[in-house]
Amino acid sequence: MGKLFDSRAIQFEGFIYDRDVYPRGPGYDPAIIAEGLAPITEIEQRGMDQLSDVDLEILSHKLTCVVEEAHDVYQELSISEAILTGDMNTGILTASGDPAVVATGIYFHSMLNCAQAKYILRYYKDDPTLGLKDGDIYFFNDDFAGVTHVYDMFTTMPIFYRGELVAWATCGGHQGDTGGMAPGGHAALATSRFEEGLRVPQLRIGENFQIRTDILDYLCQAVRNPLVFASDLKARVATCLRIRDRLVAEMDRRGPEPVVGGMRKLLSRAGRLARERLAELPDGIFRAIIFTDNLGRELGLSRIPTTVFKEGDELTVLVNGVSPEASCGAMNATWHLVRAALGVYLFSYFFRGLPPNAGLLEPVRVLVEGPSILNATGEVARGFGTQTAACVVQNLHIIGSKIAYAGGYEESVTTPFSRNPQLYLYAGENRRGYQQANISTLGNAAGQGAQFDRDGESAFGFYWGACVDSGETEALDSRYTNFRLARRVECNAHGFGKYRGGAPLAEVSMTYGPKGCLMTGAGACDKVSQNPGLFGGYAGPTNPQVVIRNTNVRELMARSDPRLDFDTAHDLLVNRPIDGDYQFRSSSTATEQFNHGDLFIENVSGAGGYGDVLEREPQAVLEDVRSRLITREVAEKVYGVFITADGHTIDVGATAEKRRAIRAERLALGKPFAEFIKEWSRKKPPQAILKYYGQWPDPRVESYDQPFWGIYPKA
Amino acid sequence: MRVRITEYLEADLDTETWLCNRCQTGLGALNRSYKEGCLLRERDPREVHIPVGTNREFNFSFDPDWIRIVEFYCPGCGTMIENEYLPPGHPLTWDIEFDIEDLRRKKAGTAK
Repeated sequence: MGKLFDSRAIQFEGFIYDRDVYPRGPGYDPAIIAEGLAPITEIEQRGMDQLSDVDLEILSHKLTCVVEEAHDVYQELSISEAILTGDMNTGILTASGDPAVVATGIYFHSMLNCAQAKYILRYYKDDPTLGLKDGDIYFFNDDFAGVTHVYDMFTTMPIFYRGELVAWATCGGHQGDTGGMAPGGHAALATSRFEEGLRVPQLRIGENFQIRTDILDYLCQAVRNPLVFASDLKARVATCLRIRDRLVAEMDRRGPEPVVGGMRKLLSRAGRLARERLAELPDGIFRAIIFTDNLGRELGLSRIPTTVFKEGDELTVLVNGVSPEASCGAMNATWHLVRAALGVYLFSYFFRGLPPNAGLLEPVRVLVEGPSILNATGEVARGFGTQTAACVVQNLHIIGSKIAYAGGYEESVTTPFSRNPQLYLYAGENRRGYQQANISTLGNAAGQGAQFDRDGESAFGFYWGACVDSGETEALDSRYTNFRLARRVECNAHGFGKYRGGAPLAEVSMTYGPKGCLMTGAGACDKVSQNPGLFGGYAGPTNPQVVIRNTNVRELMARSDPRLDFDTAHDLLVNRPIDGDYQFRSSSTATEQFNHGDLFIENVSGAGGYGDVLEREPQAVLEDVRSRLITREVAEKVYGVFITADGHTIDVGATAEKRRAIRAERLALGKPFAEFIKEWSRKKPPQAILKYYGQWPDPRVESYDQPFWGIYPKA
Repeated sequence: MRVRITEYLEADLDTETWLCNRCQTGLGALNRSYKEGCLLRERDPREVHIPVGTNREFNFSFDPDWIRIVEFYCPGCGTMIENEYLPPGHPLTWDIEFDIEDLRRKKAGTAK
């Protein structure tokens, strides 16, 4: 490694950092998952030598069109509630199993599909009971074998040309129900992997381009929504076949070598371009930290720090000093999930403009301390590891923005996309007459991060893929067991700053029909937020679960009562125009029955703000108030902006005076560093919330007394 | 040679010091954290994130038993250069620690 890493980085003894901590088992091998790009094969080299830069550009465009078309095919054919909104992806792997071309979507899905193809090549291809043939169809959803979590389900097919394996087609996304303890998947309260339902490392479910009926029956029997499951499985196979058809046609036109070589060259080129960009940026050590609060069955503080060593044309992401893995819920992540998740930030921001494929991660080394909440052992539940893995992504986003600003790439500088997880899983018979069991898609309308020169967009997209949508309301009403009363951009739900973070969509929905529905909660950020601000901007707020039982909403609807015309969910919760039992509670809840007329309030919070609130233009604050993005109270107390009684103009004099007063208060109440640290270091959270934290304040060190975290002496 | 580092920070590579970009107040040595040159203030997060409803445990604000806001101000002009959301008493974050020689080399010719 570089001199900074060698002189300053500490990896605690007894922990594994560079791969998943769990050992090899039936159908999975962490060593394969940790492998980088496969060596260049002879046919790939011959093809690479044949391609000029122009040829490669044309081929790249062609292959991108293939996977984008496949993306549309899958989305159009699917009836899964999450896939319909775009929580999925498609891609083409090289013959060796490396993701070479990835559709716009959930990039990290495709970054995680390679392990299964590589496992099949290593262990099944020469197995006489299996082999590998044109027309084979494989299914997988096991996080042990490299998948995100069991709720994401994938199909892959080898692509042969004139008898030779030339590539793999992959397709998959958030399918949802696995027959686990929570209807709809995402069992936040699971304490063991055995409570999370169907788990398939990689299973050949078909040959000769056909799914085997007996296997399909078995899989459908394992889940609560067999119609959706079967339909989507067939949609994935159809999508892989479309990729195969297009790739074979391209090889008919160009010959196989340029296509195969081109795919490998795209990986090499992405790696080279990533290194070139890294080399431009200043070297140093950069840190960020996030805390999480909800472990599933219990609330408890956990720590997720991230240290980045940027040296020359390489980036090392070191995650150490992490809280231990938790046995009271499903918020444990895997090493491979953390690594792949980083691609979500790197592809869209840090390496923006570069081709998104596995090559971009080639100069990035990811070291995650395990066993820990981020690199968990085999037996704990890990279905909601995305929650904790995303904290590392948020840290890297903050760090990357600081490196990019200092390196002259201001246009890449933003606060992180809104992430605070809050899932409502609805299950029951929908208005189309079949069993529905899946997550709500409202989280796909989260807030975009504030940018260096403008506000973040509200209701922008999904954390894991900004192009994912929250769904069309009437379609959702017919597919889910609840009925949407309101969807509005939420008030006071983003981070304040010179430029504000994007605000989230908030939804008020009603249980519909005499049978009611089941609802399970999965989430965090009840006490803390994972949407940090940047350069003095405030974080986005927390977002606990809110349900309102025993309401009078049906009576109000029957007479078109104006009390239903509330502005925002915030307005509903503050002024309570609807009668009922308002329950503010933890985001992770057991499955409960809800009845006709009960209400659910969903909101995933907004992104953090950028810059000092006192630098926000008063006119922009006025617009925030007028558009219900903030209340007058926030305008006055936080921004120091007063608006005249008619609500149309700024009270210039009062605003100037208030802002002067806030600035004077800062200078009067702010303390010099040494004085502050002396008082601050004596404080400690209540012991009850540190149950799963590890040692305080550094989970791995018995007694840590530095003013800054992560400053460990070299042995 | 002064170079821009963040929205509110500059680095003077001749004196190897941090400066406030808004008022040019010095914020300490470049090989230390600029936070050591700031005024620091602990705040109850409910002052900024106003609670919704009356539930003490869950109210869309931060629970001060879990999280406090630490604000870092320029001692010259009072600009909030950065803030951190930390459990009470948790060590602060040394967020930017440059290889100064590399910074000097890369910024040569780009100084304002």
